[in-house]
Amino acid sequence: MTHVRPAAALGSAAFDPGLARNAAEPARRGWLADWATAWNGFWFTPADPLPLAVIRIATGLILTWSCVVWLLDPDAFFGDRGWLRPDQVWRQNDQPWQWSVYFAASSATLIRVVAGVALVAAILLTIGLATPLAALVSFVGLVSAANRAPLNVFGLDDTLGMLLIPLIVGPAGARLSVDAALAGPGWGRAGGPSVRANVALRLLQVHLCVVYLFSGAGKLFGASWWEGTALWGAIANDRYRTLDLRGLAGHPLVVNALTLATLWWEVGYAALVWPRLTRRLWLAMAVLVHLGIGLAMGMMEFGLAMITANLAFVPAATFARLLRPVTSPLAALATSPGIRPDSP
Amino acid sequence: MREDLGVDPARSKSAFPGARGCASAAILLYLAAVVVPPLAGPAPASELASRLLQPLRPLVGTLFLGHGYRFFAPNPGPGHTIRWTMTMPDGSRKSGRIPDEALDRPRLLYHRRFMVSEKISALVPPADAPREVRDRARQDWQPLVKGVAAHLLQREGGLQVTLETVEHYLPEPAEVLGSGTFADAVTPLGSYAWTEASR
Repeated sequence: MTHVRPAAALGSAAFDPGLARNAAEPARRGWLADWATAWNGFWFTPADPLPLAVIRIATGLILTWSCVVWLLDPDAFFGDRGWLRPDQVWRQNDQPWQWSVYFAASSATLIRVVAGVALVAAILLTIGLATPLAALVSFVGLVSAANRAPLNVFGLDDTLGMLLIPLIVGPAGARLSVDAALAGPGWGRAGGPSVRANVALRLLQVHLCVVYLFSGAGKLFGASWWEGTALWGAIANDRYRTLDLRGLAGHPLVVNALTLATLWWEVGYAALVWPRLTRRLWLAMAVLVHLGIGLAMGMMEFGLAMITANLAFVPAATFARLLRPVTSPLAALATSPGIRPDSP
Repeated sequence: MREDLGVDPARSKSAFPGARGCASAAILLYLAAVVVPPLAGPAPASELASRLLQPLRPLVGTLFLGHGYRFFAPNPGPGHTIRWTMTMPDGSRKSGRIPDEALDRPRLLYHRRFMVSEKISALVPPADAPREVRDRARQDWQPLVKGVAAHLLQREGGLQVTLETVEHYLPEPAEVLGSGTFADAVTPLGSYAWTEASR
């Protein structure tokens, strides 16, 4: 061996204090330099914004639907005589930091205006028109609703918040958008790989790992997860039930297997979604788990939002291949050079 | 692996090293705001995590990151409904429940109303809990129930409403196979007249 890495030198010198002292300084520099290189490579390597565009469309659709549902009963959610009186909001969230535009909406008309603006922003985000502004206003609308009506929010709203921040940070409208279609020939550069796109996708990937890590770790407190019966608790709960799976009562080993698979998939997600060998398996499990929750427990919006977040781990080339039947004819028909066919 | 995720390692050099440092600091701050809230709650949580959260509260609140992410943990529990009976101005009685799967459609609307029952019921101890525990908990749930009562009275045009929370029995597999009947646990939440509820 003609070259010895500093870390190896430190290891071989561990029995000789004097040699260890001499070798320690270069070893430390090497280790820190490795960290800096890994950090920079992870966060600041340009990435194709295509996955971000797909995530934008899916997020926009779910958010649009959520805004429509808020508007079905706006006075109950945001009004003075709603489910939660304004002077009691502090009991459910961390005031004064959890802000809301609805705190200043003093009339039924203003409440509808705020909710309507949030709906329009969500639609614009979906189609990718004025995308940066639409993403920001969508986030303001989501957070305002969640912070004014904390009695009515659940995991869907947490997940939509997690999705919207990367869409504000990254060039979410650079591809598959009206913005891209309307732009001139110069747009080609904006739709290419960029550091911002990578930072946005990385933020979502890491955030999703944190969500699964804590969700899985929380389940490790529960005896029913260890016993393999937790899924029965979800199946037997008639308040959530939209698909009757009580026939599984006679198949306890199936319930055990489904429970344990869900638990260990979630606990292992933060580590095993990164290696190429296990990523596809973990993403496939994510789709199955979240579709299962959506179909059987009536929380399809939550399930779809979590699946959307998992799209951050799908390579751009995969999206390009899947979307080619749609994007290629559009590119051929487009008069604007701003629309370009996807390249694998 | 990076190539798989659609990035180009050959273009990782920045024209603005200072900008990269600032971006790194911002990313670290954001990641702290993502990681610390679920460390700090819900209980059990460490004193260290609680202290770490304090300086981050403005950022966590602003970015809507204050979540615990304990979905269906530690164990999936029973579902809850709030049942109400109302006296109308003509002396008749009207009843309903929150949520109502027959009326609350689409499903997302049902779920948003379902959360009212779930979050209030989580604060209400069982009817057979020690009196001291029930009295202490009442300070937390009663202001919320008053708001719900006021909302129902205004929506339905009633004079007085009585509410109770229903914890729906979670049957074991053997009980389902035996097709028995199951008793739900009911806890009274009180009666509220218009003047009381509107305080």
